[in-house]
Amino acid sequence: MTAAEGRTAPDEPPPTDAAALRSRTLRRHRGPIALGAFFLSLHQLCEVLVPVAIGLTIDLAVATGDVVALAWCVGGLALLFTVLALAYRTGARLTLGVAEREAHLLRLESAHRVLHPHGERSGLRSGEILAVATSDADQAASYARAWAIGIGQVTAIVATTVVLLSIDVPLGLGVLVGLPLMLLALRFPAARITRRTEDKQATAARAAAVATDLVGGLRVLMGIGARRDAALRYREVSDRALTASVGAAASNGVYTGLVTAAGAVFLACVAGASGWMALQGRLTVGELVIVVGLAQFLAEPIKGLGMVGQLFAIAKASARRMVRLLGAPDAVTPGDRVLPLSAAEEDPSDEPILALRGAGHRTLDDVDLTLRRGELVGVLTTDPRDAEALVDLLSGRANEARGATTVGGIPIEELDLASLRRTVLVEEHGVSLFEGTLRSNLVTGPDHDETRLMTALEAAAATELVDGHPDGLDRPVRDRATDLSGGQRQRVALARALAADPPVLVLHDPTTAVDAVTEEAIAQGVATLRAARGGATLVIASSPALLARADRVLVLREGRIHAEGTHTRLVEDDPHYREAVLR
Amino acid sequence: MSTDTTRPADSRAEGAPAGPDLLPTAGARRTWGVLGEGLRSIPGSTALALLTVLAGSAAGLVAPWALGTMVDDISSGAGPEAILRSALLIAGAALVGGILVGLGAWQVSRVGETVLARLRERVMERILHMPAARLERVRIGDLLSRVGDDVAVVTTAIARNGPEVVTALATVVLTTAGMTALDWRLGLAGLAALPFYTWAVRWYMPRSAPYYARERVAMGERSHALMGALRGRDTVRAYRLEDVHEECIAERSLTAMNLTLDVFRLFTRLGARMNGSELVGLGAVLVVGFWLVRDDLVTVGMVTAAALYFHRLFGPIGFLVMNFNDVQQAGASLARLAGVVDLPAAEDPGAQEGPAGSSLRVEEVAHAYAPGAPKALDGVSLEVAPGERVALVGASGAGKTTLAAVVAGLITPASGTVYLGGIPLDELGERRVREHVFLVSQETHVFSGTLLEDLRLARSDADRGEVEDALETVGALDLVRSLPEGLDTVVGEGGHELTAEQAQHLALARLALADPDLAVLDEATAEAGSSGARLLEEAASAATKGRTTLVVAHRLTQARTADRIVVMDQGRVVEEGPHDELVALDGRYARLWRSWRR
Repeated sequence: MTAAEGRTAPDEPPPTDAAALRSRTLRRHRGPIALGAFFLSLHQLCEVLVPVAIGLTIDLAVATGDVVALAWCVGGLALLFTVLALAYRTGARLTLGVAEREAHLLRLESAHRVLHPHGERSGLRSGEILAVATSDADQAASYARAWAIGIGQVTAIVATTVVLLSIDVPLGLGVLVGLPLMLLALRFPAARITRRTEDKQATAARAAAVATDLVGGLRVLMGIGARRDAALRYREVSDRALTASVGAAASNGVYTGLVTAAGAVFLACVAGASGWMALQGRLTVGELVIVVGLAQFLAEPIKGLGMVGQLFAIAKASARRMVRLLGAPDAVTPGDRVLPLSAAEEDPSDEPILALRGAGHRTLDDVDLTLRRGELVGVLTTDPRDAEALVDLLSGRANEARGATTVGGIPIEELDLASLRRTVLVEEHGVSLFEGTLRSNLVTGPDHDETRLMTALEAAAATELVDGHPDGLDRPVRDRATDLSGGQRQRVALARALAADPPVLVLHDPTTAVDAVTEEAIAQGVATLRAARGGATLVIASSPALLARADRVLVLREGRIHAEGTHTRLVEDDPHYREAVLR
Repeated sequence: MSTDTTRPADSRAEGAPAGPDLLPTAGARRTWGVLGEGLRSIPGSTALALLTVLAGSAAGLVAPWALGTMVDDISSGAGPEAILRSALLIAGAALVGGILVGLGAWQVSRVGETVLARLRERVMERILHMPAARLERVRIGDLLSRVGDDVAVVTTAIARNGPEVVTALATVVLTTAGMTALDWRLGLAGLAALPFYTWAVRWYMPRSAPYYARERVAMGERSHALMGALRGRDTVRAYRLEDVHEECIAERSLTAMNLTLDVFRLFTRLGARMNGSELVGLGAVLVVGFWLVRDDLVTVGMVTAAALYFHRLFGPIGFLVMNFNDVQQAGASLARLAGVVDLPAAEDPGAQEGPAGSSLRVEEVAHAYAPGAPKALDGVSLEVAPGERVALVGASGAGKTTLAAVVAGLITPASGTVYLGGIPLDELGERRVREHVFLVSQETHVFSGTLLEDLRLARSDADRGEVEDALETVGALDLVRSLPEGLDTVVGEGGHELTAEQAQHLALARLALADPDLAVLDEATAEAGSSGARLLEEAASAATKGRTTLVVAHRLTQARTADRIVVMDQGRVVEEGPHDELVALDGRYARLWRSWRR
């Protein structure tokens, strides 16, 4: 299976409930599941036959001293073990293969759903989604495997029943009724123990969380001189975890003892009964061995079935979470009007490329704003929520916006998402960079031209990242770019946006983590580069360096445009502006 | 996007030429030693655990032996009372065995968990009290994986497998002994399987270990790809990179899947080899038994017992082999924990006298992060009078943060001395330094727990009122009151999420609460937006009012309100004086100020 093959998400609609998801799983892999179940059943059958073979050997060869019989028995034993091993190997590989493939498919489906351009409203947080795409995918997929294993266990129970009944009906019935009853009785304490074990795991997990939390903040602890207190705090939690563990171990011990004793007492009953029968001549010695051996063995498939039941329950819970994500409604419902790229870039008319007329969204009330090609417009917001709302609106994430927002003359809600994102690029304040290289982070389109990347880096005052590293543009970047400083991350994200060179670029607080000198260089670089490319740029910021480069600055206060003018004019005329911008 | 280009190159991710140190890992002997120390510290429990497990396994030997006797009794035509006796014997052994096995499992867990708890506490102790100089060189990820993953691996091994492994081992040893007790030749026949088991394990381990390692790496990369795309999904959508990321996730998921399947294929081959060993042992016992019965050396019953003994071993041996890998992993983690335990304890000269006053003097301090690396500090001298506030100003890389860390005692400079109240820091000893110097660093960390607990880390004996006063001082009381449960709100990982700005604000409240002689503030406002930055600046001035303070001024407004400004460039002090004087001087600071104010 290749990556491309695995990616083909089926066109059928996502499963609407857990049952639908699970039946799709079975449908998708019915061939291998059936074959796997067959081989696992064969394997269980062979396991049943091992005690039978021991008994037969004792009866036919050891007790009689017949060498030919011994040869036959040993040969049979060898054959039995060969079939047993091969059946297990084939069955186990088939069923695990199914589970893994299904998990892979579910994983890709979740990723596809989460990354879908329309977004999703499952209400799950990132960590929860990650859990859905990893452990839940695995567990939901194990549903298929549980079926095959369960069928194998049932086969073992049936085969044991047949052998026992064929040896002696009353004895067989006794074993078949007695053993499940005993195991059932043992389930009651098991439930209580499971609860205690879960409590224990929770306490242990808390101790681990405290440890990683304290070590994660070790430098801070050091700076504030709190290391001794931290050690004391950890010791307390660790001690609590120990008490919980030992408590759980005690109840586990009681349970283990119960199971051991019950199993052996049951065995004593079976042995006593069949011994008595053997004495009567109703059983041979070999049959005695077989009965006792099977009585011992039977516990395995019965316990196995219990485990399969658990697997089903776990798979069901996971499938439910999975469906919650896969069937989540879209976050946005975009239109289908296409804005040709050429129109966005070189429409000769003087229509603004971006226009807000009486636009409202969340805290935004009645905003008028126009942006023309080649223009650099600054927006100063006094309330961070206004900035967020504006960013939301311009990224096409605002579903119930009021007023009119047009891009290239087309209302934003009628525009299809591809056109909108091709035309308007919003680089948000919370920078997201990805694991890979500097280059892979900067290249976001088909154009891989190196000079273009370098020009963008230069404008973002970030060339030092390339010059100062032996690998240059190919220097590795860790997940979330944790190996870069906050200021470096901000500048790489800015360079990425500049390299993408969209008709409309929206930047939100792009320089909060860089020093004044660098900020000045960035302001100049951005203004020059965007002007040279003829793109329209909207900068939402309160940095005077950036605002001073803008053709005009709009002051957004209490959800409305409160003032408009050049930075210099506003500094002179508007005391509020001066207060907000100058530091 | 190919996997090669996306793999993080850990070794060269940091700029430091020497590369970060890894914490030590103990050798096998030392690991056993640490384990032995732990066991010896609770000798009674250890002995009890061992005895009960052995006795429990011994009780398990009764049943097959009694069955063998039963077979012989039947063959020799004994009366029903002989059968009853055997059955009662089995039942009696069952009850005793049950009690012993249960007790044994409990005791083994108790011993294991206790040893582990003390070990993890010692590890945390060592890590938390690591000397600043060493902490500066180790990777935080390494520390985290020791206290997180390694402890978890060992815990799981002890809780889930510990009692079973010990019981299985005891069963194998005692059952073999039982077979030998029946007849030494039968015992020997059973042992014929041993080389095959050994061979199976030795075939499997070296082949599987690298696969498991690769599988873990692949799963980690898969999670990285997923998490990276998830966290940055707005960015992914904005740049229309959905396909690229899905492709990458698909590729990594596939790689991980194929590795899992490969490992499992290997595992099933181990299973086949185990089955082969079982066949050899069982066949040997039956064939040898056959000849011994023919020569009248043993009875049919003894052969029966021996065959049942051997069949009984399938489970525990299988368990041991299948879990060998977990045990090995636990061993590896244990070695990493033992390595930390053996770190030298921090030497603390512990000066008897506290500093005489809160003045700060930095004398000719020079420092480079690695031998031969460019100097981060190059002969810096500086004096701060008690109660004076001095701001450090300069471009990135000028050495401001390094100087702050040196003054806070987090970095021991290559040469030069820092005096606090006239006493050199290295003579004061780390503990005393911490009592007098408080650092608010660029790093903010909200410790998980209630807000009250978090703040009290700065001063553990502070009561609620004092904490509230400190919050009031820095103007954070309203912020705290607006939280769902005020001071008792659970914050940090898994709790109420605070913004970076709020976290920084609380860090300043910690400073006010700790009330140290010397406060060092480093870029405390970098991530906040402009309005937030101003709020934090006010909080910082309130928290440091009247206190000897060294502040790394990222925003020049912080510098303007300082009593004195020290301008740094390339590790040196280039200008020094109050704001107005430096502006009038029209030098480097004046240029910075103009570009800041435009």
